[in-house]
Amino acid sequence: MIKKICIIFLRDIRVNTREFMTLYMMIIPLILAVGINFLSPGINDTTVNLALIENENPEQAAYFDDFAHVELFSDEQRVEDRVMSRDDVIGILPKDNGYYIMTQGNEPKSVLEYSKLLNVLYESDVQLEDARSEIIEFGRTVPPLKKMLVNMLLLLISMLAGMIIAMNVLEEKVDNTVSAINVTPTSRSAFILGKSLTGMFIALFSSIACLLITGFYNVNLGQAALVVFSLTILSLLIGFIQGINSDDAMEAAGSVKLMFLPMAGSIAGYEFVTGNWQIFFYWSPFYWAYRANDMILSKSGTWPQLILYIGIILVICGAVYALLAPRIRKGLQ
Amino acid sequence: MKLLSSFKKELILASRGFYFYVELIFALVILAVLLFAIPQNFSSTSTEYLYFNLPQEGIEIFTNHILEDDLDAKSEMVEIKASGKTFNAELIVTDESEIYIVDSEEAVRMLADTHRNIGAVIELDDNNQLYYKYYLQGYESTRLKNLISILNNERTDVLIERIENQDVRLLSTGYEPLTDRENTIPPLIAFSGSLMGMFIMASYIFLDKKEGVIKAYAVTASSVWRYLMSKILVVLLTSVVSGFIIIMPVMGFRINYGLLLLLLLTTGFFASSLGLLIASFYNTLTKAFGVIYLLLIIMMVPSIAYFIPGWDPFWIKIIPSYPLLQGFKEIILPNGDIAYPLIVSAGFLAVGIILFAITNIRFKKTLSV
Repeated sequence: MIKKICIIFLRDIRVNTREFMTLYMMIIPLILAVGINFLSPGINDTTVNLALIENENPEQAAYFDDFAHVELFSDEQRVEDRVMSRDDVIGILPKDNGYYIMTQGNEPKSVLEYSKLLNVLYESDVQLEDARSEIIEFGRTVPPLKKMLVNMLLLLISMLAGMIIAMNVLEEKVDNTVSAINVTPTSRSAFILGKSLTGMFIALFSSIACLLITGFYNVNLGQAALVVFSLTILSLLIGFIQGINSDDAMEAAGSVKLMFLPMAGSIAGYEFVTGNWQIFFYWSPFYWAYRANDMILSKSGTWPQLILYIGIILVICGAVYALLAPRIRKGLQ
Repeated sequence: MKLLSSFKKELILASRGFYFYVELIFALVILAVLLFAIPQNFSSTSTEYLYFNLPQEGIEIFTNHILEDDLDAKSEMVEIKASGKTFNAELIVTDESEIYIVDSEEAVRMLADTHRNIGAVIELDDNNQLYYKYYLQGYESTRLKNLISILNNERTDVLIERIENQDVRLLSTGYEPLTDRENTIPPLIAFSGSLMGMFIMASYIFLDKKEGVIKAYAVTASSVWRYLMSKILVVLLTSVVSGFIIIMPVMGFRINYGLLLLLLLTTGFFASSLGLLIASFYNTLTKAFGVIYLLLIIMMVPSIAYFIPGWDPFWIKIIPSYPLLQGFKEIILPNGDIAYPLIVSAGFLAVGIILFAITNIRFKKTLSV
């Protein structure tokens, strides 16, 4: 049985590689990982954007540049135009006895307060050289936002793999190959499982590659591999159920959209909902996968904790499979 | 008339399918999340650990100063754990932060390290001046570190007084900010309604390709563009209905629904035409899906800028979902700019028409053979 599944899987890989689709699906997450590397330094460096008049007070511009992004414009009108644009930019302009702050009026309070503070510090002649402080760092270089984006990417990869499995199974159903398998020594279950391994392989490869690209090569790769394994079980189940239960591409597309909801909800729940309310997300395997990933990426977890999370994911997947087993069997007929 | 007839047929067919109801259920779930899971405003409090390595009098001055901002003007004695150790702390909760005052520098260091929050030790230097030692994680930007390092060069009460006396001049008045709940509506509408049209249209086309419906059109009096347009109209209808399901209960009658309808229709038309165009290059949904997936991810990037004030690089603004998000935001903003959603709608309509024309030419060549 296992030999037959492997033969189907290898044949599937060969077919997919010929069509460049598997390769393409493997490359997309890698491009996204590079994108995260490209985005996160800029986001992390964000404080406020200030617009000043060029050459009006170069010393002031240099001072603000140590604390904020500074843009220089030739005159007051151009500063005003910049402040009126859609993003949040604050103008600091000269008046008779100092400087005033020009705002559009729709900036977040924090942006305005930060700008006012900087202007006060400049007017009070508070210099970096006079700092009576010392900063001790713990040596963490990965900002929380990057960690969050990488974690989201790992979950997206499992969804993507699930979709590939769903589409693969669906194409076979539409082509009536599933029925044709009846006249071969291979069982339909072995055939479908073999087809699903492509998605699992993609999930495994892409997840590890993305961790390496985004600089998480010093996380516990053993732990990461375990979470990826449980995620691929999850994606296998998702894809399997979607593919088996969909009669056409529209139904599969609808199912995919529905699956995004618990994933997005679980991420939002973990990131934004306070401690006690997180209990409402315990039913979601995505919640536990995200939590386990967060622990690994933060390098803050222990093996027992991780095994607990993975156990919960597998138990939920098992329960869903047990619940839907009759439908899956029916779908294979 | 032929278009109307095709649209009616498509609508009847769609109403018998699974997808049509998925859209409505999806909208209802999003609405439930908006109403019951997302608070009107998120409470964003930071956590800080402080240790005053000062004479008792100094500790009391600092503690009492912080206590003035406590929500009930009372501190609470608590125990917090870090790396297997338990530390006693005096907790002061203000509007913006939870401040734990501990009794050793080691406690500050271990707590800041374990819980990934900022820690500070305030002590006296050789000249009997206050000296601040900050414990940071390491990923904070240089600009933020600069600010932290000089923040206490000046006395806090002096800084606050000067900040309050700053001359702030507003270029436009009457602006009322959105609540956090309202602020989450534009991305939800944009991705659930408008942009998913890309994926759904491609799925529709491949389904019909498979069933031979498209080839059958070659021998009917109806033209390919009418067929494509009738499909788009079904997607637009579901997009508008689901958009209204999400927005109406949250925003009531405070917004201009005419503008909302216009933007939903034009952006949905753009996304559907783009989905059709992509579908025209591939013979299976799986292949088209690869491109659509990548495009959807790229379209999601401006939503990061949407939620992070101050991060708005130029290249973000040329991604179509940027004006889409801003357009929806302008519509739900009290006293929002009416011209902006109109301009955005015109832009999406124009690009949508061009994409549709190209798609029509491609499908004429590929479908009727």
